[in-house]
Amino acid sequence: MTGRVIVITSGKGGVGKTTTSANIGTALAKAGQKVVLIDTDIGLRNLDLLLGLENRIVYTIIDVVEERCKLKQALVKDKKNPNLCLLAAAQTRDKSALSQEQLKEICDELKKDNDFIIVDCPAGIEQGFQNAISGATEAIIVTTPEMSAVRDADRIIGLLEAKEEIESYRLLLNRVRPNLIQSNDMMSVEDVVDILSCTLIGIIPEDTGVITSTNKGEPIVNDEKSLAGKAYQNVAKRIMGEEVDFIDLNEPRGIVEKVKKFFSGLLGKEQRA
Amino acid sequence: MIEIFNDLYKKLAGFFRPEEKENVKEVACNRLKLVLMQDRTNLTPQLLERMRGELIDLLSKYVEMDREALELNFAQEGDSMALMLSIPVLRAKDEAEIQAIIDAEEEAKSKEQNAKGEAEEIEEDFVPEDEEISEAYEEEVEETDEDLTEEIEEEVCACGTPEESEEEE
Repeated sequence: MTGRVIVITSGKGGVGKTTTSANIGTALAKAGQKVVLIDTDIGLRNLDLLLGLENRIVYTIIDVVEERCKLKQALVKDKKNPNLCLLAAAQTRDKSALSQEQLKEICDELKKDNDFIIVDCPAGIEQGFQNAISGATEAIIVTTPEMSAVRDADRIIGLLEAKEEIESYRLLLNRVRPNLIQSNDMMSVEDVVDILSCTLIGIIPEDTGVITSTNKGEPIVNDEKSLAGKAYQNVAKRIMGEEVDFIDLNEPRGIVEKVKKFFSGLLGKEQRA
Repeated sequence: MIEIFNDLYKKLAGFFRPEEKENVKEVACNRLKLVLMQDRTNLTPQLLERMRGELIDLLSKYVEMDREALELNFAQEGDSMALMLSIPVLRAKDEAEIQAIIDAEEEAKSKEQNAKGEAEEIEEDFVPEDEEISEAYEEEVEETDEDLTEEIEEEVCACGTPEESEEEE
């Protein structure tokens, strides 16, 4: 078995790399794939929190490269899904504790008996980023429809293009707010795709459920009713090669929205007449 | 009954969404497109300033213009990027003036070439011990050029850091 190594990156911080890693990893594992999530944000680890595994970590990736334990010992199994494992970052060290070669070696080792290795990349374009992309052949660039995030994504795309090993990269647009787009207050999905000229792999709507799910330590894909969860599930399907339509975010969902649409419909008719 | 609701909705909608609202999305898109163009060209503000200076020197040969008011900007022209140059012309120079400048320039060029030729000759003549002499000659001839390249390099180094930190923000 040779697994695929996918790096989740963004340049800008706070756009949802770690949330995306946790959700894609969980969704893939739920679909029966064997998945390892690697947190490469050494010194600022958070992937363990999002998965609710913070109390189970004994060894970290730094313990593996400094040979205090075997790679298998450092893999923490998920609470619910035995297909999903986490290789945590060390919290008390910094990015220089890991080299590109070391991470590549770990990825190559994990490829042998897993379907997917998802690498959660730290923010920035320095050593941490270079480390994270070193073992990967695919990338998912996370961005939001905000100017600073899109600008940083453009820079990341430039850097990924210069890297031969990266065979493909796709864009995940996070925290999309349809009502702001409709009122022309926010860039639309099409705008961002057009500006970055990059293929889309997912559109995730802004969802307060993401905050509560993080607080509970349970990725939102586990919540069947959540729209963001569904969107992440679709991303996982697309990664596995399925063709799935993007969710129509303009459809009214809440009661307020529906009432509003009803009245604006009436209003429209009146204006036409 | 429906009319009352309609009226209420109109008022509410009017309150929350004033009629003539700025299209923030368009503003964001245009600003972003422009800034990305500049990012992608690798031209730092210092290099742009330098380009501006060189253009002024070049154009001043043909027209008299307001040096301070010359503007050099990137702009969007359909799908492609354009470098927009706005030159406030004070006065057109007459033919004789222009010709004089061109002549002077050409003279300077030929002098330079002569100097270079001499330097090469010396190099050929004294192969073993000429190093210092020819170097001195070359330095003299290429002094300006070298200074320029050094300057550019310095500028590039100097702007590397602020540019990056800007992006991180």
